[in-house]
Amino acid sequence: MTAPVSISVRDLYLDYEISEDRRQALRERLVNHQGTGRRVVRALRGLSFDVTAGESVGVIGSNGSGKSTLLAALAGLLPPTSGDILVSAEPKLLGVGATLLPTATGWKNIRIGCMALGMTADEVEEHIEEIGKFTDLGEALDRPLHTYSSGMRARLHFAVATSVEPEILLIDEALAVGDEAFKRKSADRIEKLLARAGTLVFVSHSLGDVMQRCNRVLWVEQGRLRADGDPEAVTEKYMAFVG
Amino acid sequence: MDTADTTDNLKSVNAQIPTKEYLAEMWDRRDFAVAVPLEQLRSEHKTTLLGNVWHLGNPLLMIAVYYFVFGVLLDSNRGIDNFLLWLTIGVFTFRLTNSSVLGGAASITNSKGLIRAIKFPRSLLPISVVLSRLITFAIELSLLAVFTVLSGVGLSRRLLFLPLIIVIHTALNLGGAFIAARLNEAFRDIQQIIPFLFRLLQYLSGVMFPIQRFLGDKITGVAASALSLNPLMRIIDLYRWVFLGTDFDVGATVKTAVISVGILWFGFRYFRAAEWRYGRA
Repeated sequence: MTAPVSISVRDLYLDYEISEDRRQALRERLVNHQGTGRRVVRALRGLSFDVTAGESVGVIGSNGSGKSTLLAALAGLLPPTSGDILVSAEPKLLGVGATLLPTATGWKNIRIGCMALGMTADEVEEHIEEIGKFTDLGEALDRPLHTYSSGMRARLHFAVATSVEPEILLIDEALAVGDEAFKRKSADRIEKLLARAGTLVFVSHSLGDVMQRCNRVLWVEQGRLRADGDPEAVTEKYMAFVG
Repeated sequence: MDTADTTDNLKSVNAQIPTKEYLAEMWDRRDFAVAVPLEQLRSEHKTTLLGNVWHLGNPLLMIAVYYFVFGVLLDSNRGIDNFLLWLTIGVFTFRLTNSSVLGGAASITNSKGLIRAIKFPRSLLPISVVLSRLITFAIELSLLAVFTVLSGVGLSRRLLFLPLIIVIHTALNLGGAFIAARLNEAFRDIQQIIPFLFRLLQYLSGVMFPIQRFLGDKITGVAASALSLNPLMRIIDLYRWVFLGTDFDVGATVKTAVISVGILWFGFRYFRAAEWRYGRA
């Protein structure tokens, strides 16, 4: 008997229409070329793959290859232009770039983040101490979020996204920015997730992280799937490509 | 198909869920809808010296200006008892709609961080804004009650109808906030245009002078019937009826309730129809 499929991506295309406002992070990530006015960026061009429960999938590729777009699409934050994404449970995305409420303190952001994920106020009160402790941010949690470094923000997001024990967890570059102690803790949490037959999709530039954590790697280049399979074989091909 | 048995239980991440499920999801996240406006209220006025005092100081100063212009200079208070209270009711209630719609317009564009990070029913954002303005309005209403007692008018049993009027008013504000949110997400310039529309609406709703006096007199025919349907004008009149005992028109009130709920219904559907793309920009 094979393990059940938890994510099924079917011929996924995703186009962006870029307008003149180029300050927005997600857009900037996708626009590699200069110029103004509206233009269509074909971020994803026909991706298809299935992920089974308990799998830990790494996604690699050069800048602007569509990795982050793919993750946002899996989370349902970006609608596909065509094709479909089927999931067994609502995926939770953990992104580094996102800031929840910049002027609110770390504690408030944990509260509101957990509530947005569907916790009630009572459930948040029950878990907040534990979540705060997991972040290792200490007194910094009393400061507004905009004073945080990207690493600190990533820790807070990781703690929030994993607090609801998601079946499918999507991580965007988050683990690369934590320090060693935090990396170890987050690795523990991910192992627990995989142990209860959860699924992880993990985007990273750090090939070391990908090799260490994933039992399968997808290589995405210019919105297309270039390779899919054993981590060592795929990263070797990728290394040869980037030279 | 050999995968059929393993993929039967899968659901599309972008499936449009039925309204009933959507409403249930909104209800599940009600604590979120309340927590966000409280936080925004706190951060909005944190930076000004007098902080929260401006929530009340601002409309009171505005009332003083209008009283001077319309009451003293233009004498448009002829035939209106308690003009100062009459004006105060108009300003407070108009401000609620104005700030709800303006805040609703910015609710999606101001929350890109949340929208990009977490999937949740986006309609909670305009709802949050409308709730936060209602909190301010509650304070204004209590102040109004104090003024009414101090001026010797006293409070009447008509106050029992106040919750119902607030419900009608909120339906209108929420509908306006939904519509403005989607429009502003598509064309950022809407936020610049809304203040002018509201300036016009302020005159057409009889906030500082009795507009009804002009209907059927200076303004006639289709224009007059169209203007008389203006739900905001009717809602302001309802508040005046509660506090001051001005005229009450049953037919117009029913029409206003229907129009307000209609605007809410349309606004909600209009907002939801484009919800899938709010995370994009």
